[in-house]
Amino acid sequence: MIRSSHQPEASARNIVEFCRFARENGIAASVEETLASLEATTVLTSNRPEDLKFGLRSVMCSSKEDWDLFEGCFQAFWEGHVSGTAAERTGHPRESRGSRLGRRDMPSLMSTGWANDPSSEQDGVQAVAGASPHERLTKADFSTLPDTDMAALEQISLRLFRQMSRRLSRRRRSGTSRGLVDLRRTIRRNISRGGEPINLLFRERSPRPHRLVTLLDISGSMSPYSLFLVKFLYALEKHFRHVDTFLFSTSLVEITHLLRGARLQDSLRDLSDLPAGWSGGTSIGGSLREFNQIQRSKLRSSDTLFMILSDGWDTGDPGILAAELATVKRRVRKIIWLNPLLGLEDYQPITGGMSAALPHIDVFASAHNLESLLALEKHL
Amino acid sequence: MGSLQHLPPGVGQSVDVIVSGFERLGYIADRSLATAVFLVTKLRKPMLIEGHAGVGKTELAKALASLLGTRLIRLQCYEGLDVNSAVYEWNYQKQLLAIKIGEGSDETVEEKERHVFSREFLLERPLLQSIQEKDASPVLLIDEIDRADEAFEAFLLELLSDYQITIPELGTVRAKHAPHVLLTSNRSRELSDALRRRCLYQWIDYPSLEKEMKIVRTRLPAIEEKLARQVAKYVHAVRGLNLSKPPGVAETLDCAQALLALGKQRLDGEAIDLTMGSISKSVDDTARIKSATVDKLLVVSDEDLRQPGQ
Repeated sequence: MIRSSHQPEASARNIVEFCRFARENGIAASVEETLASLEATTVLTSNRPEDLKFGLRSVMCSSKEDWDLFEGCFQAFWEGHVSGTAAERTGHPRESRGSRLGRRDMPSLMSTGWANDPSSEQDGVQAVAGASPHERLTKADFSTLPDTDMAALEQISLRLFRQMSRRLSRRRRSGTSRGLVDLRRTIRRNISRGGEPINLLFRERSPRPHRLVTLLDISGSMSPYSLFLVKFLYALEKHFRHVDTFLFSTSLVEITHLLRGARLQDSLRDLSDLPAGWSGGTSIGGSLREFNQIQRSKLRSSDTLFMILSDGWDTGDPGILAAELATVKRRVRKIIWLNPLLGLEDYQPITGGMSAALPHIDVFASAHNLESLLALEKHL
Repeated sequence: MGSLQHLPPGVGQSVDVIVSGFERLGYIADRSLATAVFLVTKLRKPMLIEGHAGVGKTELAKALASLLGTRLIRLQCYEGLDVNSAVYEWNYQKQLLAIKIGEGSDETVEEKERHVFSREFLLERPLLQSIQEKDASPVLLIDEIDRADEAFEAFLLELLSDYQITIPELGTVRAKHAPHVLLTSNRSRELSDALRRRCLYQWIDYPSLEKEMKIVRTRLPAIEEKLARQVAKYVHAVRGLNLSKPPGVAETLDCAQALLALGKQRLDGEAIDLTMGSISKSVDDTARIKSATVDKLLVVSDEDLRQPGQ
């Protein structure tokens, strides 16, 4: 498959093969791109070889990720020497996307119980019936729940999250008032009355869901809660228009795309495959700084809710945490901090990180059991 | 595939023509970008341009329009952009007036309706304008598409595949000359795959030092080479500082222009302070530039000054 000649010979056959090669190496080029590539080579008649490369690049790529992969692919195919990056990726389309997050052979923190057999989901539906266990479970702290109740709780939570999600989307629709007068339809309706606008018609204000950005702490101290919080986020993803979700402990990993799966089980399996290099303490401040530097264009002060799910045990400098939180605060509508420890009776938010963060937080709520998660609905 | 359209003589003949044409217009494009633009004119596909803020994405559309000698039609996207402000709207005031005036006439309701929903009462917005050009393909710049919402993106997809717009009251308007479409995005939101697929793609990075110097000197012919080099180096160093809003080429030009206006011959600590506003756009960034690196930036610049002088 690899050409040995240095001069690219842009025969139709070679172009088609190159497109296939690029596809195998993770560039999202479909048949449509192949056809466009062929067309491009017929119009690129100059004999400068780089024109062919640049031309094919703009035709075949459709994102920055593709753009970065292209150079290696092109060299590997046309110039005969397989560069390290392209060679590694052969046969593993797109896999490398995730691997920059960390090394593949690192143990995966999230593997424990996250990628459950989907069949358990089916069995559980019948198992949970009756109000009293339901009530007991929604109030139980995730971390102290016996394993035997786990499956039942998951079922309840899925159902309740789904209901909440549906309720949220409905609430928005009925809540909209009469918007602007729709002049176009008004005129049309009133032409027979000489254009006098007697019956006004309104343009319904289109629902304007919030944008939700969530940072979820997955350090060791949070692990009893993480699974439920991820499920909670998965349910929210369904009704917010823009949801951006990140995991953090010492650094930040975006998982937005993983939560978009049609089935929760698939999303969880993808998550458990995420390589994780999490060790050492939590650096909330550092993760926030990383967020501010790279991701803050995702924030729009008009409609963004910013949610942090963390217990506030920060090994970093509380000053950094406060400063970065203040930066976020200027660009969002509301900061919600969910802290599972609030569920403990004698808990006081006096740890260094937590007390530094408190002045910047709009809603400080607990997230230790189902009930507290569902209570959040009023803030969303 | 689709038939290639006629272009003004000379333009679109080859990539070289585009490179030299842009240079004549004061737009410094590298070969990669010129090749992509060439393909835009030849394959009649829209092009999606991504890159940091201030690397000349919008400028490219202006340069292309003057190179082709056609009109530039610009649509600035924003959140909540709807069909009324992007495609067309009826001139309601005029319609109401016309109905009033026609009150006494014997026209039937149907005739009146046909009258007030005729071209005369149509306000053309950028997208409709772009497919109505009579003589040549205009350049349509859809700026910051990532700010518009998904619904609009979906509408755009339809327009970009057929270059036609249907107005219920009037019928379908089909483009005689399909526009050259350039879309820009700052990646504040992920665009749909379908839209990406339809477009050629171009990533514009910050220019190299040499290229940035060339841009400064092309745009500001009055500047001395030494100063241009210093400014370019300074901005390059600042970009390495992890600022929340790194300066683009536009900022480099602002800074150089400010120095010229202040009558500075060289960039020193004082000059950096004076022109801070052209480079840094937030308090935090200003602090970061001032604290961490003023010395480092200047050392680099001074060394560099001595070398070519010897």
